[in-house]
Amino acid sequence: ALSPRLECNAQRHVLTYMEDAVCQLLENREDISQYGIARFFTEYFNSVCQGTHILFREFSFVQATPHNRVSFLRAFWRCFRTVGKNGDLLTMKEYHCLLQLLCPDFPLELTQKAARIVLMDDAMDCLMSFSDFLFAFQIQFYYSEFLDSVAAIYENLLSGKNPNTVIVPTSSSGQHRQRPALGEAGMLEGVEASLFYQCLENLCDRHKYSCPPPALVKEALSNVQRLTFYGFLMALSKHHGINQALGALPDKGDLMHDPAMDEELERLLAQVPGLVNSVTASPEASCLPSRTPPRVGSPWRPLHHSRKVDGESDGSTEETDESET
Amino acid sequence: MIPGKYRSVSGRAANNVNCGLHLVIQTSPLPEKNKVRFKKVEFKLNKDTSSFPGRLLQHDLERNYSSRQGDHINLVSSSLSSFPILQRSSEEKILYSDRLSLERQKLTVCPIINGEDHLRLLNFQHNFITRIQNISNLQKLISLDLYDNQIEEISGLSTLRCLRVLLLGKNRIKKISNLENLKSLDVLDLHGNQITKIENINHLCELRVLNLARNFLSHVDNLNGLDSLTELNLRHNQITFVRDVDNLPCLQHLFLSFNNISSFDSVSCLADSSSLSDITFDGNPIAQESWYKHTVLQNMMQLRQLDMKRITEEERRMASVLAKKEEEKKRESHKQSLLKEKKRLTINNVARQWDLQQQRVANIATNEDRKDSDSPQDPCQIDGSTLSAFPEETGPLDSGLNNALQGLSVVDTYLVEVDGDTLSLYGSGALESLDRNWSVQTAGMITTVSFTFIEFDEIVQVLPKLKIKFPNSLHLKFKETNLVMLQQFNALAQLRRIDQLTIDPQGNPVVNFTLWKYYVLFRLSHFSMQKINGTEVTQNDMIMAERLFGILAHVASSELPQYRLISILGDARKKQFRYLLESKGKKPGIINEENNDSKRLVGENTNRATLNYTTRDFYNEKLEEIKEKKKFCKTYIEDLVKEATEINMKNEALQKLWPQMFIELVRDAVIEIRNKNSYMKLCLQQITDQK
Repeated sequence: ALSPRLECNAQRHVLTYMEDAVCQLLENREDISQYGIARFFTEYFNSVCQGTHILFREFSFVQATPHNRVSFLRAFWRCFRTVGKNGDLLTMKEYHCLLQLLCPDFPLELTQKAARIVLMDDAMDCLMSFSDFLFAFQIQFYYSEFLDSVAAIYENLLSGKNPNTVIVPTSSSGQHRQRPALGEAGMLEGVEASLFYQCLENLCDRHKYSCPPPALVKEALSNVQRLTFYGFLMALSKHHGINQALGALPDKGDLMHDPAMDEELERLLAQVPGLVNSVTASPEASCLPSRTPPRVGSPWRPLHHSRKVDGESDGSTEETDESET
Repeated sequence: MIPGKYRSVSGRAANNVNCGLHLVIQTSPLPEKNKVRFKKVEFKLNKDTSSFPGRLLQHDLERNYSSRQGDHINLVSSSLSSFPILQRSSEEKILYSDRLSLERQKLTVCPIINGEDHLRLLNFQHNFITRIQNISNLQKLISLDLYDNQIEEISGLSTLRCLRVLLLGKNRIKKISNLENLKSLDVLDLHGNQITKIENINHLCELRVLNLARNFLSHVDNLNGLDSLTELNLRHNQITFVRDVDNLPCLQHLFLSFNNISSFDSVSCLADSSSLSDITFDGNPIAQESWYKHTVLQNMMQLRQLDMKRITEEERRMASVLAKKEEEKKRESHKQSLLKEKKRLTINNVARQWDLQQQRVANIATNEDRKDSDSPQDPCQIDGSTLSAFPEETGPLDSGLNNALQGLSVVDTYLVEVDGDTLSLYGSGALESLDRNWSVQTAGMITTVSFTFIEFDEIVQVLPKLKIKFPNSLHLKFKETNLVMLQQFNALAQLRRIDQLTIDPQGNPVVNFTLWKYYVLFRLSHFSMQKINGTEVTQNDMIMAERLFGILAHVASSELPQYRLISILGDARKKQFRYLLESKGKKPGIINEENNDSKRLVGENTNRATLNYTTRDFYNEKLEEIKEKKKFCKTYIEDLVKEATEINMKNEALQKLWPQMFIELVRDAVIEIRNKNSYMKLCLQQITDQK
């Protein structure tokens, strides 16, 4: 049974998709009218379920719903996992470039914030690994509004203002430390963990945007007495439970695994021109049968028709793991 | 009077055998200074070892005596002074009253010569004398020969007012000095010394021969006043330039062999000397130059002899022809350098504009939201006043050149250059040049197109034109074109073919990305490029590119819903057609070809064909357009929702109310029918009422 608030959310998001579908219809009237409107709607909502609806869409749509965000994260992971697997460390700008390949107007700001989490707000030109960046980016992107509020709270706490002075729970006063005097706060780094958590809990209650499950947040904070803002974010990004709750990305250990895509990749690799024949002036002729042409008028289905399975590549995993440079 | 047989004509030293030193031997008063006569005598001190008078005396001696004169001289060392005192037998004194030879006497100092005050010729050759002394009493001396001694300073000559020949060759003299009183000097020989500067001779207006060979002279000047000088020997010095020679009205022979003269400019005064007829330059760097002979001949028309060879008419003619050719060449190269300069200034101008533009963009980006205004509003106009800042960039320029070019550079804000097989475009204005009517031949030859100082987004828009007008362009170069995203490479896919791609790191931040080359190879795999930035593309590179981005292509094609595929590709096709539609009116023949072409475009590696690049401007435009639609959709859906909720509410309300309504209906009916009779009456009543 969904709580009324969640149900309301879901309803609102359905409307979002409805609006977007109608908008897409309007934009591509000529093309879709040949296609059939009923089929269009079917495809549209199927793609929403599949999570492919956000591909190459504008940022305002990509961030519009939590489901969109999850889909986007997942798409990014799937498309660029190979980059991570290759072991390349990239700069923030380059990751941003990759993001832009999927979403042309993705704002640099968000990528920067994500990078700050990984680099602990230091040396923004540093290289980052794929997994570090991805998990930090996930937190930043999915919970961006939440994080903004958290930042405000953190600032307040740092400067000694406790927004929750009115609501100090007396029952847990045992674990509740004495609020540090202003001068003391300046000398110690960051803020006190449990106090911080209480503020967060209150935030989660009132926040209309998605928040990480409070229990998991508590878990993330359980080991520390004090923490900084970026330390907190880092803890969030590394927390497996939160990742699983989000449901977009696999566990860190499995980040590079995607057997289905690897298989697909092997098939593609087998068709690299040069392996087959020397390329002539009309490369498209040789490529045409092996690539996926857009087929108008056929029922929607990922097309896995016959591909040349070259004798050379068995799809053996050794080949994919070898880095060929 | 000079007896005829003693006259020598050509003046070579070797011919002096029978020639007497006429001036000296004559007892009559010295003849009037008569240039012509003296010329015939020719005191040609050609060879370095000029022991002219000495030799003369020798021959004299040989005619009359078999033994050397020196044997008859006694040098008695006196105990009173440190100088030896010379004594001659009175016999000799009478025989050779006017000449005395103390050659090779191992003298280290000049001896005191008493009782010989009529001496006219004095010979101290080949001794070890270090100072000229003890000869002040010989006031009738006409010739003094101190060749091959160790004299370090010219001194002790101030009383020798009659001296006409002074031979100081092969000594150690460092400076020309103390010659003030020797106003009658006719021959001055200072060869083989250490003299570095010509000085203190300006009063020698009767000097005819001056020999300064084998010294340390580095330049020649300060020759004014030598109004009689006919021969000047400067061989074997380190002379780099010559001045003042045009102030020598009589100079005929000038020997500059074995010096350091490298250009005619450094001896330009020679051209102004009307008397010069004989000159040597051999052993100088200038003599090695290809233009040497004819330049000299051209500039010195009065010459009769060069480097000891007569100048023929033929040579003179050749010289003028060659000189004309040189002039032509110079003019040509001047024109070339003018053009080059203009080009350079234009490029500087374009670069400047570019920089200002980039700064503007940076300022705007930091001030406003990045998404909205990345594109600069207007390209800045450079007016003439900014040209004043150019001098620091232009470097050393002819002032004439500078003036000529001032007017040109202001107008030129772009540059189009065709150099064989390369078309170079600088500045965004150059893109318009693609519209020009290029001859098929010129356009066909172009294999490389280079873009500099042009925004890549602007280049993208003219790529279709490029494809059509320059079908053989296989190598594209980009420098300072603001390539910042990998996406931008998607735009290159629309070209027919690229063999080579060069992205200069300057002004193209995308090169800093680790993956850029692989992305290019991936996206443009259908071109099978040979080289990127000069490095060969290997099979491994292609595999790596596919490995890194293959899944992206897969996702971009098979996972996109069909309608999106169509719409994205449709957009691309539409863009291609846009340019063609524009030119539709002009050449219908091409359209068919282009239709086929874009059909092929769709066939091109379609799994990545959806990876397009829309320039920022277009993208924002599109988003603006969509806003309206979105608004409409929103209101439409809202209306639908409202309707639906209303209906739903009504439905719910109905659901709620229905039971009650039903009960009421039934109750009313039952109440009505309770009394059968009255109900029947009521019904009948109703029916009659209806009528």
